[in-house]
Amino acid sequence: MKSVGLIFFPAFDWCITPDHPEREERLLYTRDQIEEEGLLDLPEFREYRPRLATDHELSRAHVFVPNIRAHLTESHRIAAGGAIAAADLVLRGTEKRACALVRPPGHHSMRFVHGARGFCLVNNEAVMVEHIRQQLGPQAKIAIVDTDVHHGDGTQDIYYNDPNVLHISLHQDGRTLYPGTGFMNERGGPGAFGLTVNVPLPPGTGDGGLLYVIENLVLPILKEWQPDIVVNGAGQDNHFTDPLANMEVTAQGYARLTELLQPDIVVLEGGYSVEGALPYVNLGILLALAGLDYSQVVEPDLERVKPRQAQRVTDHIAWLVDELGQMWAGRKGVDLEAHFGKGKFFERKRMVYYDTAGITETQNGKIRLCSSCAGWELVESRSDRYAYATVAVMLPWNACPGCRGEAEAAYQEQISEKKAKKVVFCDPERDKVLGCTN
Amino acid sequence: MASTKAVLDELKAACPLKGPVNLQLSTTLTTNTIVEGRGTATAAVVIPGPGVDLRLHGLDFPLFPLPGYVDHRGRVVAECEPKEAAAAAREAQRGGAEALAIVGKFSQRNPSLEQAVLDAVHNGKLKFSHISVGHKAAPRLGFPRRVVTAHLNSQVAKAQRKFADAVESLGEGLGSVRILKADGGTMTLAQSRSLPIESILSGPAASTMAALALTSHQGKSMVVVDIGGTTTDLAVIVQGQPLYAREGAVIGGYPTAVPAILSRSIGLGGDSEIHIIDSEEGGTRFRIGPSRAGSPVCLGGTRPTPTDAVVALGRVSLGDRSRAVGALKELGARAGLSWEAAAERVVNAFVSQLCAAIHKLYGELEGQPVYTLAEFLETPHLRPEVITCLGTPAPAFMRPVGEALQLPLEILPHSASANAIGAAAARPTIGLTLYADTALRSLSIPEMGIFQEIERPALFDQRKARDRALGKLREYAREVGLGEPQDMDIVSEESFNIVRGFYTVGRIFHMHAQIRPSAQRITGEEGVR
Ligand SMILES: [Zn+2]
Ligand SMILES: [Zn+2]
Repeated sequence: MKSVGLIFFPAFDWCITPDHPEREERLLYTRDQIEEEGLLDLPEFREYRPRLATDHELSRAHVFVPNIRAHLTESHRIAAGGAIAAADLVLRGTEKRACALVRPPGHHSMRFVHGARGFCLVNNEAVMVEHIRQQLGPQAKIAIVDTDVHHGDGTQDIYYNDPNVLHISLHQDGRTLYPGTGFMNERGGPGAFGLTVNVPLPPGTGDGGLLYVIENLVLPILKEWQPDIVVNGAGQDNHFTDPLANMEVTAQGYARLTELLQPDIVVLEGGYSVEGALPYVNLGILLALAGLDYSQVVEPDLERVKPRQAQRVTDHIAWLVDELGQMWAGRKGVDLEAHFGKGKFFERKRMVYYDTAGITETQNGKIRLCSSCAGWELVESRSDRYAYATVAVMLPWNACPGCRGEAEAAYQEQISEKKAKKVVFCDPERDKVLGCTN
Repeated sequence: MASTKAVLDELKAACPLKGPVNLQLSTTLTTNTIVEGRGTATAAVVIPGPGVDLRLHGLDFPLFPLPGYVDHRGRVVAECEPKEAAAAAREAQRGGAEALAIVGKFSQRNPSLEQAVLDAVHNGKLKFSHISVGHKAAPRLGFPRRVVTAHLNSQVAKAQRKFADAVESLGEGLGSVRILKADGGTMTLAQSRSLPIESILSGPAASTMAALALTSHQGKSMVVVDIGGTTTDLAVIVQGQPLYAREGAVIGGYPTAVPAILSRSIGLGGDSEIHIIDSEEGGTRFRIGPSRAGSPVCLGGTRPTPTDAVVALGRVSLGDRSRAVGALKELGARAGLSWEAAAERVVNAFVSQLCAAIHKLYGELEGQPVYTLAEFLETPHLRPEVITCLGTPAPAFMRPVGEALQLPLEILPHSASANAIGAAAARPTIGLTLYADTALRSLSIPEMGIFQEIERPALFDQRKARDRALGKLREYAREVGLGEPQDMDIVSEESFNIVRGFYTVGRIFHMHAQIRPSAQRITGEEGVR
């Protein structure tokens, strides 16, 4: 029997604003459906409480500007703590699999947090993954398969240069949907090239297309890469009734996806068809996780709407999978110098827009090109909300002694130069986050 | 029944009361009927709609599924055909069913499909000894438990009807008759005819009510420990209020939706088996239970029990002490211990197992899921301030438990007849569920069969919802013959804005109103009525 631990926290008294998609009502009908179905009376399921994520746990994945307290509500801490609690159920062997149905979601939250983006403030999955790595050690390999309809740009940002975290995001093509990123050529930094896999699906993708990608691209990749833990960021906005996107996926499709993927941990992401989709999709996912029959989970609108996938969509997805499969197979033979240059550092500048908070951030970053490890990283960030800069000096997991020495020196230099208002030093292997405010 | 009549006559003779005698009965009739499988042959006609396959719930009685679909807000997505409904009921009857349950998914939000089946059965002139409908038997969320509850209700209805007839035939001298329920409250005899299932497991409820009636620590939080021969039952009182089972009572392995006082039964009692365990560190330990060894040796049994240990040590006088010492000598010899050491270690094992069970229960209660920030951040303090215990062998075992948990210990008087005292002290309880959806303009109170339109939905707010719930509860109390209720409360409530396309189109209100169970204080012999 596959036992499933459920962490359910619908936060019935929390919203971004009363008529925002991320509001009290969001998981109401899911709760009603789960309780009416008597799901927790089945021996396969047990329900647990979430917990509050601590400042330290959150700071493993994020640099908050100006500080944690300026942004966070208890609801964010419980959502991240719910994901951590779900991971602990699996790590301790209490349950075979676990599912955190918590809100708000997190996959648009990047390393730097100046405010909320795409309804997200804390990247629940990243906070959870960092917790898992603290338990399993620096060699642990974790795969995140993000099946939300929106590109998981926050998770991508945090793990872009991390060779032990494989990030696969299936989403509606960024040319047609928020956040406008997640193209095939975003493949990872110099230390983890090819381990960011973006699958931009055309609008109108249905169960057939989604499952085709899982079976012909995602499963083969996972089989080859052999992760210790598979996490599914289960957004439910690919559903044919979702008001924010244009896909044709059904509860049956989501359940089958879960059955194929066999994730160790599922964390809810987006999904705003609170009545037409969430009760049924969540039910389907939970049944599939437990290895139970989900064939009778049917949305009331299914008969009327009859979602289907056009032939050109099917054809495009076949091409996409073929292309991405080749890119995956050839990832180790790629000339990295051509991508990242021959210098000591790979430098990049970029702008990040926070739609929920209405903030624009500019970043100047550099990654040390190192042949012994993924390379240390420095990012300087400013936003139009605060006049000063914040700098993060970050060691990778399994940093080489050379990078460690350079990064520590860079941190000291940043402090003494006093150019940035706040300097943060992240050392995941020693589980230390140091901060200095000038 | 002869015994009830005898007791009544005895009571009348003993009490210098004028006028009729009021009876409050805690019966094992429905419990035993279910546990022993003696109920009326019953089938369930179900309208599951899509979702979890009901077969996954492993129900072992005949189910006759019908098409039809009500969604989570009570909208009918697909109707139920009367012809098919009648055919299903007829087939159930041919299969031997004498009683029927009709249960639909989300029927508490909209009972029209259940009603359609019921009408079809009546129109088809099909006769059943009892028909239970889901929305009345189990109005809270939980379709499988609703099916079980309605089904068991039909199973025991005939037996309860006979019992009620017999009680009424006692005739003159009989005042009001109330039946104890699993939630520690009482119901009228008339109510027990339509919802007999609510009288299951009234035994554990009675002992908790006895603790409330007799304790000198009123309004405090306490763990109630009832040590019996085979099991020890634990119940939890928080600031004077008994805690309920989260989903409902479980009986004969069936999870039901019957509101019940939380009671945890552990296989640890005065007559439990004693096992010798060779621990890793080389010492010898004992483990008690979970099965029963039989009567203690001091009372003529053949195998040593915890009772023998306390009798041998001289802490309880019961039966033949020398036989208890003999039994402990034999046990000690097997474990390489003197009889005194063996007896002490048996008592210690009993105490540590009981303490562990108490800790585990509180751990589980504190870990129970909650769905709001307010509840998460302000989880009420449940931990006991007092241990209150009932049961004959209580004191000898409980003193060390009190010491181990560092809590004051209260041994209740009248403990041998606690069950009867609890039944006598219980007061009526009833509850109802109000669910209002102003976008759909619908309001339901399934317990009273109220499914109506909200006339001016824009003006229907939380205060109106509360007033309606409490007003209807008062009406309901009068309707079932409980008079003017006291202690009415909204025990839980939720409300949500319904937002579609960035506009608020209505609100959902969901609340439970209840007369909380309470116990009449009983002091001295005159108090027992
Ligand atoms: Zn999304
Ligand atoms: Zn290095």
